Amino acid sequence: MAVFLQSLISGILIGGVYALIGIGLTLIFGVMRVVNFAHGDIMMVGMYLTYLLFTILGIDPFVSVLISFPLMFLFGGFLQKTFINRVLSAVAQNQILLTIGLGLIMSNTVMLIFTSDYKILTTSYSSSTIQVGGGVSISTPLLISFLITAAITAALGWFLLKTDTGQAIRATSQDRDAAQLMGINVKRMSIIAFGLGSALAGTAGALISPTYYIFPQVGGVFTLKAFVITVLGGMGSVVGATLGGVLIGITESMSAVYISSGWKDVVVFVLFLLVLLFKPSGLMGKSRT
Amino acid sequence: MTKTILKSAAGLLVLVLLLALPRYMQSPYALHMMILLFLSVSQGQSWNILGGYAGQHSVGHAAYFGVGAYTTMMLMHTWQIVPWIGVWAGVGLVVVVALAIGSICFRLRGPYFVLASIAVAEILRLSAINLTTLTNGAEGILATEIPAFKIGERVVTDFLTKVPFYYIGLFLALLTIAITWLVQHSKLGYYFQAIREDQDAAHSLGIHIALYKNIGLVISAILTSLAGSFYGIYVGFVDPPTVLGLDVSVQIMLICIIGGMGTLWGPVLGSLVLVPLSEALRSNLITEGLVKIGLVSADSRIGIFLKENLSHAHVLLYGILVVLVILFMPDGLMGFVKKLAVRRKREAV
Repeated sequence: MAVFLQSLISGILIGGVYALIGIGLTLIFGVMRVVNFAHGDIMMVGMYLTYLLFTILGIDPFVSVLISFPLMFLFGGFLQKTFINRVLSAVAQNQILLTIGLGLIMSNTVMLIFTSDYKILTTSYSSSTIQVGGGVSISTPLLISFLITAAITAALGWFLLKTDTGQAIRATSQDRDAAQLMGINVKRMSIIAFGLGSALAGTAGALISPTYYIFPQVGGVFTLKAFVITVLGGMGSVVGATLGGVLIGITESMSAVYISSGWKDVVVFVLFLLVLLFKPSGLMGKSRT
Repeated sequence: MTKTILKSAAGLLVLVLLLALPRYMQSPYALHMMILLFLSVSQGQSWNILGGYAGQHSVGHAAYFGVGAYTTMMLMHTWQIVPWIGVWAGVGLVVVVALAIGSICFRLRGPYFVLASIAVAEILRLSAINLTTLTNGAEGILATEIPAFKIGERVVTDFLTKVPFYYIGLFLALLTIAITWLVQHSKLGYYFQAIREDQDAAHSLGIHIALYKNIGLVISAILTSLAGSFYGIYVGFVDPPTVLGLDVSVQIMLICIIGGMGTLWGPVLGSLVLVPLSEALRSNLITEGLVKIGLVSADSRIGIFLKENLSHAHVLLYGILVVLVILFMPDGLMGFVKKLAVRRKREAV
């Protein structure tokens, strides 16, 4: 029972960070209908940013979110304005390829600068845990990152529901043409959405950097994971992505315990294929072809 | 009429030159480059049949490449089975895999199809890492000695030099080009193009969508598997990232995208651009060049850094090329050349 509870809790905690990556991706897809294959690589850039801030300036990874969030927002806005914007009306495979290309450029540029060595970011609390009782313990960095994730998700929800810009973003994601006719600056909304999506991915990168290895190719794994999460939740749905993130977190940690850690990603991908086959619209999505 | 004769004559000349080349060019490096070029053409052409003509942009072709490479290598390594036979075991297995993948992925469209194709290839890659007893896991399979192929006592191929690989590679490249040509000029090709242009319209005209997509996939997968087997025995080493990784799938697509999807000569053109460029990076020609023209000194910090790292960065070049091609030549080099030709004609009038 303790093992079950333990893996459930760590699944939920890591799932929170996954949710953050998924929300970013789903936001971009919702507003632009572009599948961003560079999402994990953007997260990787966030990880290296955190690493730099920590090693050079000594800023704690969790505090550095305050710096990396706006920086990653600008980075995402730049990517949207210079690259993605030009392929918005192009065929789907060109959009996919462009983002794959951007991802390759990011990961390989980082590799040129930092080499492909694994970097570890060790903080004083990296391996500390909190005992909950019954033989169950919670990793401190995972708990902190989960709390920050929850706060960011709540703030994002407020932004999308209550502010004018947030409503404009949602309008754009519901119907791009209608939104434009209503006088919404669709191009600006796209830049904001891509910026936000990148900032969320970058933040997720910052939040997991105390518990993960940092290396240039780490993005590939997370791009796929982000897709599994968003497809599971229903492409374009923020609530769905949150749910999907936590579900994937639990699936992963459960299969690591009960099957083997080597096969946990396979379990996730098989689950993904099953969802695609039997409920392609996802848990929260409306069916759309 | 004269144009067709000229074209055939030029084709024949190129073919004769290619056949005679190893006689006059013994440099192993030059032969190596040609072999890589043939491999690239056959990879690109195989993807082209499904991706270019039928419009199903699989980003999981590493699955077929890897299955071919692994099967041949495993048979050769464990039971000393000559590649000439192992290759067909790979083909048989790949047909099964392709049909399984097709029955799952072809129910999906657009980005969902792409995602599913990646997921399947990833499942295979992770399985290759985890099934250690079968695949030797992350270490990969190293098989430097290829058993000679004998009929009775007579040695047919010994694989001691690069020459047999050159001819096998050439044959493979020509085979894929010929099959693409056949597809292009047959009913099958027209069905593929109808599915690519408008799946629903094609369906309403009575074309069995799932059947033809699967036919396209099987042809494409068999040819990719052959290329994979060829790669395996030529390099003598396979491991999960180099034959089953996402990079492999992207590289295969890239050959077509850069050259021009859905055209007979697109993958050839793409290979002619990609292979020399990535080889120049891999073999550090660029750093040497920079040193030679005096921009960088060989033992300065930058010089040493470039020498150590630039050779790993050929994927960076792929990334830059993809972005440039998508933004400025969305129809690839073939499309760009055609556009230029049209413009010239218009100016001439």
